[in-house]
Amino acid sequence: MCGESHLSVAVVDDDDAVRDSLRFLLEAAGFSVATFGSAAQFLNEASFENLSCLVVDQHMPGLTGLQLINNLRSQGAKLPVALITGSPSADLLRQASELGVARVLEKPLNDELLLHFLECPCARH
Amino acid sequence: MAAMNVGDQPAESEPIANESALLLSILETVPDAMVVIDRRGTIQFFSKAAERLFGYKQDEVRGQNVKMLMPPPYREQHDGYLRRYQETGERRIIGIGRVVVGLRKDGSTFPMELSVGEATGGQLFTGFVRDLTERQRTERRLHELQDGLQHVSRLRSMGQMAAALAHELNQPLTASANYVRAAIRLLDAQQPNLDRVRQAMQHAADQTLRSGAIIRRLRSFVARGETPRQPEDAVKLVEEACALALIGVKERGITVHISQDPAVPQAVVDRVQIQQVLLNLIRNAVEAMEDGPVRELSVRTSAQPGCVLVTVTDTGTGIPDEIAAQLFQPFVTTKPDGMGIGLSVCRTIIEAHAGRLWVEPNPSGGSIFRFTLPTA
Repeated sequence: MCGESHLSVAVVDDDDAVRDSLRFLLEAAGFSVATFGSAAQFLNEASFENLSCLVVDQHMPGLTGLQLINNLRSQGAKLPVALITGSPSADLLRQASELGVARVLEKPLNDELLLHFLECPCARH
Repeated sequence: MAAMNVGDQPAESEPIANESALLLSILETVPDAMVVIDRRGTIQFFSKAAERLFGYKQDEVRGQNVKMLMPPPYREQHDGYLRRYQETGERRIIGIGRVVVGLRKDGSTFPMELSVGEATGGQLFTGFVRDLTERQRTERRLHELQDGLQHVSRLRSMGQMAAALAHELNQPLTASANYVRAAIRLLDAQQPNLDRVRQAMQHAADQTLRSGAIIRRLRSFVARGETPRQPEDAVKLVEEACALALIGVKERGITVHISQDPAVPQAVVDRVQIQQVLLNLIRNAVEAMEDGPVRELSVRTSAQPGCVLVTVTDTGTGIPDEIAAQLFQPFVTTKPDGMGIGLSVCRTIIEAHAGRLWVEPNPSGGSIFRFTLPTA
């Protein structure tokens, strides 16, 4: 690990099972986890300053993952973001990179890639 | 009954008069419209229900040829039907019944189920008419066909469905994998929290079952109850499909010619599927002529050696060469908002019946679609 021992991660995904399973996985790996069912809920309720990382789903009703990230960036929030998606198109990857998304992960998720990223969000690999 | 107008008839015939009066009153209360014609097609009797259905009073139609209740092309053909029956004795509708199109006094058309009975040795024909546009009447016959149509539109949206399915399946798969990976991590701990592991495995199993439910849903989406193939009257099959496909077409200024070779043998088919193909072809033809100067649709059934040939000809926009070569591939379309699934499904259905479906340009503009059906 390269960060503090008790990292706090936010998960934003509209699918209950995906959201809860991510919480389960990340808690098992020692993170403290806050989950949100929509971009709007996250924007209303999350306290960004305590977050070390954000994991967000791209395909959601209402604001998409990228729209949420765009919103955060325009508020000046620079926290590291992992975008998860079932269909990582070239276009999506380009837009994600423009918004400074550190990782795009395809579903089903490779947990090692995800956990490695969350432990060392500064690393780009 | 004393009130019966038996006037100067002999007293002994009164029971008979009563009987026919009783019969008449029964017939007037039958909800189906009833039209009685003579052997030349002249209307002899027109029930109250028929008055309501067609909008004519009995006085207006009695003595007229019954073809006034039919839109073209049936109107032109009806006298021929009567003549053919008298010459050959071959029953094409009597005692069988079929779905045809009726014409109301106000010029509107409607699908109707017609059953014809024969009385007094072929001197009179009794037609019972059910309006299939009336909801409760529609159910039995039309339901079956509409069911088929819905199946076609379900197939149409298969492309979209596949994309949605990929997304939907990915969710439980993602969740299952996460839970299992979490369980492994928990087990790797010095003193594993087995309750937590059990929870994770329980959730993983639930999500795996959720994937199964999605797949089951897809399967029931694709598969409709298989209907066995059986010998069907090809003429009747084509006529019914035309009746349904052509509802409202007259209003679009399209002239329709339907010609059926009476010598067409029975075809061994899944009737609903073949009617779906025909509906698709006719609707395509109608759409292709939408803005054209000449709007003529013709549907033709003819007997060929070993098969029945059905031809749908339009005078529409035709098919550009670059599309013609791959017209029957999924997702190929000439329509701006078309899904392009229709024709590939049509060809699949026809080929599954060991028939062929192909298209040629119409020499006078437009397209000619032809398909063959196996005979009994």
